[in-house]
Amino acid sequence: SKHPDPLHTLREVEILDAKTREKLCFLDKVEPHATIAEIKNLFTKTHPQWYPARQSLRLDPKGKSLKDEDVLQKLPVGTTATLYFRDLGAQISWVTVFLTEYAGPLFIYLLFYFRVPFIYGHKYDFTSSRHTVVHLACICHSFHYVKRLLETLFVHRFSHGTMPLRNIFKNCTYYWGFAAWMAYYINHPLYTPPTYGAQQVKLALAIFVICQLGNFSIHMALRDLRPAGSKTRKIPYPTKNPFTWLFLLVSCPNYTYEVGSWIGFAIMTQCLPVALFSLVGFTQMTIWAKGKHRSYLKEFRDYPPLRMPIIPFLL
Amino acid sequence: MAAAAATAAAKGNGGGGGRAGAGDAVRGPGRRPDDLPREAHPGRPGSDGERRQPRWLVIAVGLVRAYLAKGSYHSLYYSIEKPLKFFQTGALLEILHCAIGIVPSSVVLTSFQVMSRVFLIWAVTHSVKEVQSEDSVLLFVIAWTITEIIRYSFYTFSLLNHLPYLIKWARYTLFIVLYPMGVSGELLTIYAALPFVRQAGLYSISLPNKYNFSFDYHAFLILIMISYIPIFPQLYFHMIHQRRKILSHTEEHKKFE
Repeated sequence: SKHPDPLHTLREVEILDAKTREKLCFLDKVEPHATIAEIKNLFTKTHPQWYPARQSLRLDPKGKSLKDEDVLQKLPVGTTATLYFRDLGAQISWVTVFLTEYAGPLFIYLLFYFRVPFIYGHKYDFTSSRHTVVHLACICHSFHYVKRLLETLFVHRFSHGTMPLRNIFKNCTYYWGFAAWMAYYINHPLYTPPTYGAQQVKLALAIFVICQLGNFSIHMALRDLRPAGSKTRKIPYPTKNPFTWLFLLVSCPNYTYEVGSWIGFAIMTQCLPVALFSLVGFTQMTIWAKGKHRSYLKEFRDYPPLRMPIIPFLL
Repeated sequence: MAAAAATAAAKGNGGGGGRAGAGDAVRGPGRRPDDLPREAHPGRPGSDGERRQPRWLVIAVGLVRAYLAKGSYHSLYYSIEKPLKFFQTGALLEILHCAIGIVPSSVVLTSFQVMSRVFLIWAVTHSVKEVQSEDSVLLFVIAWTITEIIRYSFYTFSLLNHLPYLIKWARYTLFIVLYPMGVSGELLTIYAALPFVRQAGLYSISLPNKYNFSFDYHAFLILIMISYIPIFPQLYFHMIHQRRKILSHTEEHKKFE
């Protein structure tokens, strides 16, 4: 007589609401090697308003979400698995959010640069600034956001597909708002060029360009760490590219270079709102860098001890 | 006991002007951690509630005496100016207490409330001398004073484990009048300050300047006034909701006694 093969017994999955414990769905004849992603797709069939991206399934109502790649038979469940569901709310893809939040500043800054009507007095409509630094600033600002858009489309590999919808309003307000505020002053007819003139502008431009190259180098290095379609995580190390040598001292050199770029831009334009934008950005990126640094330390025993999250030796 | 006081505090406060009530309405004592019983701070003599109580009485007494002395209330601001500034600014310490964790309140909410009161005292009333004789100043000072006296009485009695229903009732009912009263006083004061701010160009900077920055304090004040429109109703109705919860809860308890 044959013993029933546990690896091939079909399973049952019941999905309950994490808050009300109401039974939402019962799936029978589920393959034991089915993934959470497949179960999510099955769940969507009975509840089409909850597409897979907004489902959080977990083994415990208050526990962590299960990953899409997790396999049913590897989970600590019996032949009938009980999963708890939480609605993550409307989701939007990371790519969409990035493209929207970066396209805004690119376009908005140009409105101010070309002195489109109703921003400055009518006699200034469509006039051009007489300061070289103002033209340079426009090129730098536009380059920065074009770079970001291209990186979003061709370079970055996102580990999460989506984020909550409300983030797009929050993020766009931040990026678009600051872009308008900076652009207003830099392109203003009463703009005052930097105190130390061409020297100051040249130095600032050098800082900006170096940091832009650095930031791009880090993005490429991070991309190369992770093969297409995978979600593996590895410790990033310096490569032959000198800009990546900052990895020796810092966990998130992309943020370091980003702050550097904006400091360069602030010095170039000598504009207080730019300095404030840099400060706010620095604060946020420090929070992110510390988080990333902490997860590296947790995940990798052999993580280089010399590294700080964002500023070498300091922060 | 601390938990009870903190929970009660978290459920709303006795009033207070405008956004000044924000901190209290949500979590923990927005203003002062008097909910520190002797057990929590063995080294400290007496609770903060008991020590804080007198300051508002000082202001209240100051007000009454000055009125009796001068027979008119227009110069009352000058009588209470110094203690008001001192104590209200001292409330900044409450933010520190939240930040370093002595008090389980939210730093953000406490900051919000304390900052809004400090703003009104320093950035409006003190900065624009011409509004100091306005009735509206009295309006918010009285509203704040009564609120705080009731609130700290509530905390004190709670700590002594003998909270008369009257105090609880007062705390969760008088805000219905005191809150709009305080908000009106604040808004009217800011409004009264506007022409003087514009005339003097107070705290404002215009182009061109070497930092390529401009700030119009007059416009900023108008924005602040507008912000009361979404914020005030939310806080007010939140407190009404809390009132219903707390006071009906007490009624049920009484039935079972």
